[in-house]
Amino acid sequence: MNFALSEEHEFLRTVARTFVKNEIDLAPLLIPGATVDDAGYASNWKKIVEVGWPGLIVPEACGGSEMSCIDLAMVVGEMGRELVPSPFFGTLAATWTILRAASPEQRDRMLASVVGDGASMALAIADADGASDGPSSDTRATQKGDRFVLNGSKSFVVDAAAATNIVVAADSAGGRRFFVVDARDAGVCVDVLPWRDVTRQVCSVRFDDVEGEMLPGDAAEVWPWVRDRLLLVLSAESAAGIERVLESTVAYAKERVAFGRPIGAYQAIKHALADTFGTSECANVATLYAAWALSQQVPDASIAAAMAQAYTSDAYIAATQQSIQIFGALGFSWEMKNHLYFKRARANATLLGQASGHRARVIDMVARAAA
Amino acid sequence: MDFDLPPDDDPRRLAVRVWLARNPQPTGRQIAEAGYAVPHWPSPWGIGADAELQLIIADELERANVDAPYHVNPVAVNNCAQSLLTHGDDTQRDRYLPPALAGEEIWCMLFSEPSAGSDLAAVKTTARREGDHYVINGHKIWTSLAEVAKIGVLVARTDPDAPKHEGLSQFLLEMDTPGVRVTPIVDMSGRQEYNEVFLDGVRIPASQLLGREGDGWRLCTSQLQTERVALSKPGAVWGKGPSARELVQGLVEMHAIDDPLVRDEAAKLYIEGELLRLLAYRAFSDGLNAKPAGPEGAARKMLAAPHGQRVLELAKRVQGARGLIAGMQPFSASRPGAHTVFDDWDYAFWFSPGVTLGVGTQEILKNIVAERVLGLPRESDPTAKVAWSQAGDRELAGVR
Repeated sequence: MNFALSEEHEFLRTVARTFVKNEIDLAPLLIPGATVDDAGYASNWKKIVEVGWPGLIVPEACGGSEMSCIDLAMVVGEMGRELVPSPFFGTLAATWTILRAASPEQRDRMLASVVGDGASMALAIADADGASDGPSSDTRATQKGDRFVLNGSKSFVVDAAAATNIVVAADSAGGRRFFVVDARDAGVCVDVLPWRDVTRQVCSVRFDDVEGEMLPGDAAEVWPWVRDRLLLVLSAESAAGIERVLESTVAYAKERVAFGRPIGAYQAIKHALADTFGTSECANVATLYAAWALSQQVPDASIAAAMAQAYTSDAYIAATQQSIQIFGALGFSWEMKNHLYFKRARANATLLGQASGHRARVIDMVARAAA
Repeated sequence: MDFDLPPDDDPRRLAVRVWLARNPQPTGRQIAEAGYAVPHWPSPWGIGADAELQLIIADELERANVDAPYHVNPVAVNNCAQSLLTHGDDTQRDRYLPPALAGEEIWCMLFSEPSAGSDLAAVKTTARREGDHYVINGHKIWTSLAEVAKIGVLVARTDPDAPKHEGLSQFLLEMDTPGVRVTPIVDMSGRQEYNEVFLDGVRIPASQLLGREGDGWRLCTSQLQTERVALSKPGAVWGKGPSARELVQGLVEMHAIDDPLVRDEAAKLYIEGELLRLLAYRAFSDGLNAKPAGPEGAARKMLAAPHGQRVLELAKRVQGARGLIAGMQPFSASRPGAHTVFDDWDYAFWFSPGVTLGVGTQEILKNIVAERVLGLPRESDPTAKVAWSQAGDRELAGVR
């Protein structure tokens, strides 16, 4: 038993923090009316490709660095801490799906472009109602000879407009499978949604007779595995975001004077911030435990990931709301970062299902074991 | 990073089991002499155990149904005996530590007073030096175990002309000394957990001073921050009693879990409970109790106390009107390895308003977290910087 981060993990985190601090600038998003088009997606991604992060979870055999979920949590945490706008989330989602669902030949070929060419990807799984786990999807794949043709639509596809390839969940005669399509195919129509979290590109995608390459893995087995890892990503972003928001709010409470004292001297403010410190501690330990459980593939890893996301997403919402309250009207203005965190928190709490849904899975698993 | 707890076949576990097989139903003295009362202490008291070995020993004693020393004599083992190890002299150690660690002499903490609870440094009890004795006069309250204690760790003011925090000293008071009078307090649960202790002209030999004169506040702080095995369990009452895991178990048994609102609330509590468990293990893993505990312990207590109240509240709520009948338990199943009065769900619930009062009120804990962890401005205390004997005027000034 050793709950402390290793020196390697600390080092990785420091490197990531330094990179983000030096290379990423959210200033363009703080101009009123800014959208995700102003977020610097392409230029940020170029820098991220240069430091090799797209290959973090890619096996060494495919030219990646094959890092564990704990390593990944260090990097994702630092990106979440500063809301780094980039197609990292979509690329991770698609990479994991390929890792789990593809044949070895497909895997090597498809991931080579991520590592080598810096191609970003996206995973299209949610339907128009936001559901990822529904019994049937809005997209169908029809076999024509040895090829598959996709028709239908997906929504809430993170990073689709930036992607070179899109991995799509679709129903076929053989059950639900994942298909890889070329995002530049004439039949692929990507619309960037007017998503409130302008640090993240979220799209709807329509497929009209688009050729897709089928991955043999059964989606019913692949998706929960991928989902658990994506829950870790969201949880790591959220836990780090809570820490960042708490730091900036504490700093402001020390500096802002009212009635002759810093507002942080008043217990109403102190106690609110102490509460958030407590939830921040829980969010961090939840995330690290989930990262460890997934990296070790322990039996309750799925519970750990659901617990982490359920807890951190609620806590992130609360912390960002509180931050705006303590900053006062200033924190309510577009030119401050508070609202970017507030919106990221809301988005992280919906992208892969609500906290209550994750809690339902936790209690189902626990109650079954107790019965 | 590695979250694995020591497995069932860990050789260190087997060693403890071998000892327990050779000493079935060991006496407190045998446990103490094996070093299992304070395993993290150096020899001859402990065995210099690291955090993991401490967990193992606690686990194995519980499994063998042996009353843990930290339950038998919590004040000594969890809080105060450590001060003798570091600040006591040889005579004091030889006289007091063996019976304390063996649980043969129960200790109590004579700290709080009617007007000095959260503001502990405001104690008014005086210790006046007379030759080779100190004469104690004062009134202590909310003292657990005073009715059975042989030894009281007493905080009293030795220098009224020093500032509030600097004029305090600690003594080891033998509770059968003339002038010590203990009277019980019945709390809202109907039980007697606490006492008042009146000290009228109690004469303590000067050799019973712990550390030096004026060390009292520093000793109190370190004793109150010491956190041990008990708090590593997410039991609802200060780490003791049922946890969210048992709550879920009980709700499943009585089918209350089928109510969707109960189900979601139970899930929240379950998750919180697991995270508190991890936080406690993390503190353990940091070797927190080998060095003086920091303010992070206050953060964990700040989280754990209201969590425990919510666990007990949900258990009580699902009972409906039956829950108001004295002694009515929500769940048929009793906790395996139950050792404390708090393992009684019904009692623990009616005790639970005290959980955010005792061992630091919730408000004081939040102040500690805000000030010492987050670095927010300290609360101003108009009585802190002046001689205690002048402080009364400042209190009044503060009111105006």
